[in-house]
Amino acid sequence: MSQSTAKAAAADAGASAALRARTEVARLISYIVIGSGAAFLSLRASTLPTSRWEPLGAGSFPELVFGVLAVLCMVAAVRAVIDIRKAGGATRLGTSFSKWFVTRRYSFALFGLLVVYLLSLPLGGFSLTTFVFLLIAQLMIAGISKKTLIQSLIAALIFSVGLNMLFAEVFNVFLPRGVLFAG
Amino acid sequence: MMLDAFLAGAHQVFAFDTLIYMLIGSVAGIVAAAIPGFTVTMAIILTLPLTFTMGPLQGVSVMLSVYVGGYTGGLISAALLGIPGTPSSVATTFDAYPMARGGEPGRALSLGVWSSFFGTVISTIVLILAAPPLAMIAVKLGPWEYFSLIVFALTIVASLVGNSLMRGLIAGVIGLGLATIGPDPMMGQPRLTFDSAILTPGLPFLVVLIGIFAISQLMGEVEDHGKGNSSDALIPDVIEFKTWAVMREVLMHPVNLVRSSLVGVFIGALPGAGGSIANLLAYDQAKRSSKNPEEFGKGNPDGVIASEAGNSATAGGGLIPMIALGIPGSAVDAILMAALMVHGISVGPRLIMDNADLAYGMFVAMVVASLMMLVVCVLSMRLFLRVTDIPKQFIVPTVMICCVIGAFALNNRVTDLYLLGAIGLVGYGLKSIDYPLAPLVLGVILGPIAETNLRRALMSDGDWTVFFTRPISAVLLAAALLSVIFSVRSVLKMRKKDRPATDEQDGD
Repeated sequence: MSQSTAKAAAADAGASAALRARTEVARLISYIVIGSGAAFLSLRASTLPTSRWEPLGAGSFPELVFGVLAVLCMVAAVRAVIDIRKAGGATRLGTSFSKWFVTRRYSFALFGLLVVYLLSLPLGGFSLTTFVFLLIAQLMIAGISKKTLIQSLIAALIFSVGLNMLFAEVFNVFLPRGVLFAG
Repeated sequence: MMLDAFLAGAHQVFAFDTLIYMLIGSVAGIVAAAIPGFTVTMAIILTLPLTFTMGPLQGVSVMLSVYVGGYTGGLISAALLGIPGTPSSVATTFDAYPMARGGEPGRALSLGVWSSFFGTVISTIVLILAAPPLAMIAVKLGPWEYFSLIVFALTIVASLVGNSLMRGLIAGVIGLGLATIGPDPMMGQPRLTFDSAILTPGLPFLVVLIGIFAISQLMGEVEDHGKGNSSDALIPDVIEFKTWAVMREVLMHPVNLVRSSLVGVFIGALPGAGGSIANLLAYDQAKRSSKNPEEFGKGNPDGVIASEAGNSATAGGGLIPMIALGIPGSAVDAILMAALMVHGISVGPRLIMDNADLAYGMFVAMVVASLMMLVVCVLSMRLFLRVTDIPKQFIVPTVMICCVIGAFALNNRVTDLYLLGAIGLVGYGLKSIDYPLAPLVLGVILGPIAETNLRRALMSDGDWTVFFTRPISAVLLAAALLSVIFSVRSVLKMRKKDRPATDEQDGD
């Protein structure tokens, strides 16, 4: 193996170890969050009143399940710490997180839009809010041009008003009318 | 009695409106799975709200059409674009894509369609033979055995799905935990609701399922937006399908066809393992037993037959534990089970006894669905080839709306939609750090069954040792422990394998 190839291979191995360590840090955080939540819920379930009719009451099963979950998360967290140390520790976490976030910016934007849509659904009703959601989401993904605007307008109209009519007329499923149009 | 039930089921399936709905379902399944990135599970989820107003057998028949069609639809993008339309058609790309590239796209598609058809039919035959006797045995199981069976199912799921047993177990237990929120299944006492109106009725299984699978998947679809699709489309103007010649070609490989289908049935019957594992395993078996293994990966018809027959046969295989034991083999089976529960039918070993017409009707529906898939594919494959061209800008938001409708239509509760959003975000977060989501969903559906059986088992004297002294229960718990040990062993082996390579690199 030539010196330059060896150097490149070593650099690759180092980069992959660093990446592995950063992924493990993300997982470690998840273990801690889930484990703490599980421990809290297990304690909470243990305070539920016991049953007179059976040895296990309503709280026993959730107490057991969340207890097991907390233990599993603890074991996984210890394993993750060992893996991070083996990989030489996690560096540049901030940069890595911002890269992760930037790659997924459209996913989070779409989710944000979904949240706004769900919150405004009871107010504006299915047809109107769906039309607005679809129009914005389609333009966000495709970009704004004359062609995409016309396409998105047509698709939004079909899948908002059209879907509402289809479900009401054919499947007898009535989607929210909205407070604004309830009268 | 059995014949009566069979005829009653067939009568319902062969009703004109059911057949029309099944035809639409078949087309929808093929179209949905032909779009790269969209799975059979998502297609079934989207069908669900449409079946609420139908009768139980009609609804399940439509969902089975989508299921069978979906397994075939993944073939289209696998053969023509080299991108598996669904995870269950990964091995199809190995030989179907080179075959299509080599100037025979029509043959590659026809091979896949016929293999899927025969795979589904073989799996249905096994289902008809295996499910009723298994259910007869299962009704004799007590709550001890049932609880141990669920523990076994969850450990198998955790060890087979995903890259890490630990994360699989955590996901499964999260599912069990989510199922405990709300009223307890025996006395109705509220638990862990924190006096919240959203949590008081409990987390509806279907809302959790739609959020976990569909919303997280859709969010993932727009990741890395703008990078574009680097793969070249391969849709020539003239495609020669050679339908009947290819049918004979498939039948000329009976050993491969039957072996791959049986692999599919077996894998499908294991909880958690589905088409995504079956196609690879069937392909591997075909390659190992071939006289010319070096031809695999270069457009060998045996490779296409093995993969497609293997993944399609999981449909019938997955229904065996669902119908006979009430334990869904995969997320799709869990949705089918939930759809029946929405109609007030309890799925378990008594299904065949109490609702024999429904169970036998499902068997008939499987065969009819595979026939419909065949006819639809043979007649209109050319049209489906264009599906892969539909841009994401239309699909992602529209499918999201369909998910919202599905979650709302279940209980007509707007608060379910807030749950959907929250669960979707959690699912996306878990998925992005490599938690498998199937164990979580199975945990949610199996949670109440596990709890009810555990409490019944301990109702008399609270003695936990009974789980180990009753032979079937002890065997099932031992099997659960073994599946964990094997899984841990294989992880340790892989780590050992990786270590010398790293050491070598370090030493250079």
